[in-house]
Amino acid sequence: MSLIPRETLAAYLDDALGDLETAQVEQALRQNETLRKQLHGLLQERDRGEHSVGAIWRRQRLSCPSREQLGSFLLGVLESEAQDYIEFHLRTIGCAFCQANLADLQAQNQEATPHVRERRKRVFDSSAGLLKAKK
Amino acid sequence: MATDSDRLLVQQIRQSDARAWEHLISRYEGRLFAFVHRRIKDLAACEDIVQESFVGFFTSLPNYDDRRELQTYLFTIASHKITDFLRRTGRHPLQNASEGPNDLLHLKLDDQPGASSAARSAERKTLESDAVGRALGQLLDDWRGQGDYERIKVMELLLVKGWANKDVAKFLRISEQQVANIRFAAVKKIGEHVRATGLSPDVFPELAT
Repeated sequence: MSLIPRETLAAYLDDALGDLETAQVEQALRQNETLRKQLHGLLQERDRGEHSVGAIWRRQRLSCPSREQLGSFLLGVLESEAQDYIEFHLRTIGCAFCQANLADLQAQNQEATPHVRERRKRVFDSSAGLLKAKK
Repeated sequence: MATDSDRLLVQQIRQSDARAWEHLISRYEGRLFAFVHRRIKDLAACEDIVQESFVGFFTSLPNYDDRRELQTYLFTIASHKITDFLRRTGRHPLQNASEGPNDLLHLKLDDQPGASSAARSAERKTLESDAVGRALGQLLDDWRGQGDYERIKVMELLLVKGWANKDVAKFLRISEQQVANIRFAAVKKIGEHVRATGLSPDVFPELAT
């Protein structure tokens, strides 16, 4: 397998890679001019309106489990094949969106701490003025 | 597609309902925070980016099409905010790759259609995306229904990760012939579906049989 497959570079552009793979791609980009040129080529292709089946799959999140399924995965109550598939989707495919959902579900299970409530309150307080301004 | 619950929330927010806004934040803040934290380890910066993402969502509300999945839309906004942040702080790997308005990062960030984009219209691209998405979605539903997760894994590794047949076979401990057969059958079905919508699957090299 080549160092960074072309579709992985495309996924990097879509910000759809997990943290580990993103770091690997970024490190390779810093060190490898050929790879940077390849990325540039990909950007030009997109500029011309070209796209790939993989990009459509990622963008439409065609194989992403639902949030409810991710919750069941966390509890380990899915059938073994489905459990195994979600593990694959999270770890091997490294879906950044599902990883974020899973991390959030894990955090909810573990805490619902005042810290998180406070953080959300800050987001609300800082943006609620927009609603008043709109009125 | 947005869920009914999300669609209702957005409708209420458009009517300046502060409780709906609070509800939206409560529903999505955690996953957005986790998404941002994947790239940026500084917690205060993550919080700022999430905050900017919600503000960005609010600002873009007049343009938000609620047929679009809200979660994906929010992730997209957050993704742009992450790139903005990395760029501002000089931490993006493409920061120094080239200079000027045509630098890689600029191209990525601004998502501006260049002059050459007239070659293929955005409308056609949407039609192609919809056709391929429907065909793939149908295949995936069928395989899920049959509990045939191996086919999903094969096609996801081939199309989403861009792995070669031999690497997929090795990873899944099946023969290359099996991978080739699964690929051939799937590509044929997708191609047929795309053709049936009056489009050409030749646009996608991955669909060549």
